Amino acid sequence: MSEFLFRQTPPAEPIQFDGEKCTNCGRCLEVCMIDVMLPGEKHPIAAYPDECWYCGCCVMECPEGAIRLRHPLMNQTRWVEKASLLKKEKE
Amino acid sequence: MEKSQWPYENRAGCVTRLQADVLVLGGGVAGCMAAAQAARRGQSVILVEKGAAKRSGAGGSGCDHWESAATNPCSTVSPEALLKAMMDDNDGYNNAISHYIECREGWDALLDIERMGGKIRDTEDEFKGAAFRDEKTKLMFAYDYKSRVTLRIWGATFKPAMAAACRKLGVRVFDRVMATTLLTEGGRQGGRCVGAAGFHTRTGEFFVFSAKAVIMAMSRPARVWLFSSGHPGLCEFRPLQCAGDGHAMGWRAGAEFNMMEKSVQAEFSAAGRSFPPYSTGNNHNTWYAASLIDAAGRKIPYADRDGRLLKTVEERYLPAPGQDFFLKGGAVTQAKYEFEGPETLPYEELKKQGYRLAFYADLSDLPELERKVIWGMMVGQEGKTQVPVYQNFTEAGFDPRRHVLQCYGTGWQSAQFLPKERQLFGLPGGFMNDWDLMTNLPGLFVAGDALFASDCYGHAAATGSYAGRKAAAYARKNQRLPLCEEQIEAEKRRVYAPLSADPREGVSWKELNEAIAKAMQNYCGEQKRDELLLSGVELLERYEREVIPKAFAANPHELTRLLEVFDILTVAQVILQACLSRRQSCEKLEFYRPDGDGAEPAPFICLRQEGGRVLRRQVPLDYAGDVKENYEKHNRDYIEEKEAAL
Ligand SMILES: Cc1cc2nc3c(=O)[nH]c(=O)nc-3n(C[C@H](O)[C@H](O)[C@H](O)COP(=O)(O)OP(=O)(O)OC[C@H]3O[C@@H](n4cnc5c(N)ncnc54)[C@H](O)[C@@H]3O)c2cc1C
Ligand code: SF4
Ligand code: SF4
Repeated sequence: MSEFLFRQTPPAEPIQFDGEKCTNCGRCLEVCMIDVMLPGEKHPIAAYPDECWYCGCCVMECPEGAIRLRHPLMNQTRWVEKASLLKKEKE
Repeated sequence: MEKSQWPYENRAGCVTRLQADVLVLGGGVAGCMAAAQAARRGQSVILVEKGAAKRSGAGGSGCDHWESAATNPCSTVSPEALLKAMMDDNDGYNNAISHYIECREGWDALLDIERMGGKIRDTEDEFKGAAFRDEKTKLMFAYDYKSRVTLRIWGATFKPAMAAACRKLGVRVFDRVMATTLLTEGGRQGGRCVGAAGFHTRTGEFFVFSAKAVIMAMSRPARVWLFSSGHPGLCEFRPLQCAGDGHAMGWRAGAEFNMMEKSVQAEFSAAGRSFPPYSTGNNHNTWYAASLIDAAGRKIPYADRDGRLLKTVEERYLPAPGQDFFLKGGAVTQAKYEFEGPETLPYEELKKQGYRLAFYADLSDLPELERKVIWGMMVGQEGKTQVPVYQNFTEAGFDPRRHVLQCYGTGWQSAQFLPKERQLFGLPGGFMNDWDLMTNLPGLFVAGDALFASDCYGHAAATGSYAGRKAAAYARKNQRLPLCEEQIEAEKRRVYAPLSADPREGVSWKELNEAIAKAMQNYCGEQKRDELLLSGVELLERYEREVIPKAFAANPHELTRLLEVFDILTVAQVILQACLSRRQSCEKLEFYRPDGDGAEPAPFICLRQEGGRVLRRQVPLDYAGDVKENYEKHNRDYIEEKEAAL
C-alpha cells in the first residue's frame, strides 16, 4: 500500500496529460477559455477541473496528442449493438 | 491580501488606460465579426475577451448548421417569408429586426467567414452526389432539402479564422480581460456609453477603455436556476464564461431589456440529468433525420404534419404536400402546423402501438452519405462534439453501421428536467434594440446572444457584422467624451473588495451561486405568483446586502467567478422584476400565472433603471414595422456598397 495522502476529492478528472508526449508548450492552457489550467513544471496542471466545459479545444490545440478529455462517469452515453436488441427480441 | 503560489504576476491595483474608436466587449462569434467589420471601416478597434478569442464563446469549438441563410444562391425562400414564419411561429414574441438581419445578411456573413479561412463548401467532393449537396456551388444543406435555407458547414474551422482575421485587420485583442462595467457620460445611469472597465483574470490588473462607440457581445445569462458545485462547468448548455455579465452591466448602466420574464424548462446541460450534447441523438438539429428504434430494435415511424407515415428516409427531408418549407433548428421546439416538419410519432401514440423504452438513435439504416454526414461531419463539426463525442466514441469502438446510441427520455432527448429547473434558452430575453442595433443608451450597440429573442451562430455573426458597421458610423460622427473618474474609482473598489475579505467569514462563488439557483427554483419556478416572486425579491436583496460585502476570492481567477455570480444575482433580480410586471400567462413566453387577471397577454414588457428606480413600458409586438422597408431605409449605404461590388 502506498502512503496516505490528503487531498480535495475531485468530482471528476476531465483532462489528463501524457507526461511522455507533452512538451509543456502551453498551447492547451492558452486556448482554454475557462482557464482551467495553470502552468506546471512538467506539463500544465488542471487547477480548476470542475469548471471544465468539456469543449475539447485543448485537445484540438495540442500538437503532440498529449492530452485526453474524459467526461465524468455519469455522463458516459450508453450504446449497444443493434443486433443485440433484435436478438433479445427473438429469444 | 495573503501571499500565495499564484503562478502569475500580481498586478492588482495597477491601472492601464486605453483608447479606441470602437470598443467590442466579448470575443465570441458576434464580437469577432463586429470588431472585424468596424476595423475594415477604418476605425481603431479594441476587443475585450474574458477567455481567449481563438476558441472562446458558445461557438468556439464549432457549429454544424447555419440557419436562415435565405439569400444564399440555392434558397427558395425570401428573407421576408422566412422572417414572417419566425414571427408567426412565436405569436410575435420574437426579435423581428435582428432576425431579419440574420435572414437578409446571414449569407453575407458566411461568405465573409469563408474569406477569413472558414470552410463552408464540400471542396473535397466528399459528399458528391448527395441529396443535400448542390453540385455547382458545393454547398450542403440540412433538414429541409427543398427550401435550402439552412447550411451544413465545417464550423470547427470558423472561430480561429475569425480571431486571426481580427488581428490581421489591426484589432487590438485583449484576451483574459473580464469587462465588469460600462462607463457612461458623467457616470449617469442612462447616459451615453463612453467606455468600459475590467480586470485581467490572471494578474488582476485593472483596465479602463475609452471609446466613441461600444458593442455589447457578451452572450446571455446562465446558472440562474441550474447549478452544480461539483460540475459548475457542465451545468448549462453555453460556456461557463457566459454568465450574464453583459446583462448585469447593461442593467446597472440603465440599458433597457425585453422579455426577461421568459424562461423555459431546462432541456440542455450536461450535469446530472443530462448527457453530453449530441452524444445521444437529438433530432432537432445535429441528428436530424436519423432513425429511431425501440428496445426491441423496431423502427419508429416518421410522419409528416398530417400524420401521413413516411416510407423513405428521403421524405424526412421534404416539406409536406402543399407546404413551402418547414422550420427546424436550434430555436424550434414544436413548430406550429403551418411550419411543422416531419417528426417521429409522439410518445403517447408509440406507447399505444406497443413500442417500448429505451429508444436508440440508429444510423445503420441510413443511406451511406446521410450516415456519413451525421456521424463524421455534423457530429465532429458541431460544438463540443469533435473530441468528447466523435473522437472519444470512435476510439472506444463505436461504429455507426452497427451500434445504436441510447436516448434518455421518451423521444430524442438527452435529458429530462423538472419544471422548476429553468434556463434562458429558445429565444430568451435580453437587450432591447432599435434598427441600428443600438440600445436606449446612445453609443451602446448590441449583437448576438445578448439581444432579446436571440439564438444561433448565423444570427450572432450577422448581427455582429451589422453592429460593427453601425458602431463605426456612430464613432465617425460623434466625439470622444471624457470618462467619469468617480465611476472608475467606485468600480475599482467594487472589483477588488473580495480579494481583501476575510476568508473565514466570506462566502465563495459556488456557495452564493447555489443559493441563488435554489431561490430561483423556489420562487420563480414554472408557476409565477406575486407572493412567491416577492419572497424571492426579498431573499435576493438580502444576499446583496449581507453576502456580497463579505464574499471572498483568493486570486484573480476566483475573483472572475465571483464577479460573475454577483452578475447572476443582478440578472435574477431583473428576472423577478420582469415576472412581477407581467400580469397574465403567455404561452409563447412559457410564462404561467395562476393568479393572473385574465386579460389578454400584454405585448413586449421592457424594463430599465433610472436613478436606481425600475421603469417599465409596454412596446407593441410589431414595433419593427415593415421590415423590408425599414431595413432598406436604414441600410442604403450597405445596399449600394454591395451593388457596387457586383
Ligand atoms: C454546444 C453548442 C453548439 C451549438 N451549435 C450551433 C449550431 O450548430 N448552429 C447554430 O446556429 N448555433 C449553434 N449554437 C449557438 C451559437 O454557438 C451561439 O448562438 C453563438 O455562438 C452566439 O454568439 P455570441 O457571440 O453572441 O456569444 P458567444 O459566442 O458565446 O460569445 C460571447 C463571448 O463573450 C465573452 N464574455 C462573456 N462575459 C465577458 C466579460 N465579462 N468580459 C469579456 N468577455 C466576456 C465570452 O467569453 C464569449 O467569448 C451552439 C451553441 C452551443 C453551446
Ligand atoms: S475541454 Fe475545454 S474547458 Fe475543458 S480544459 Fe479543455 S479547453 Fe478548457
Ligand atoms: S498543448 Fe499538448 S504538448 Fe503543449 S502543453 Fe498542452 S498537452 Fe503539452
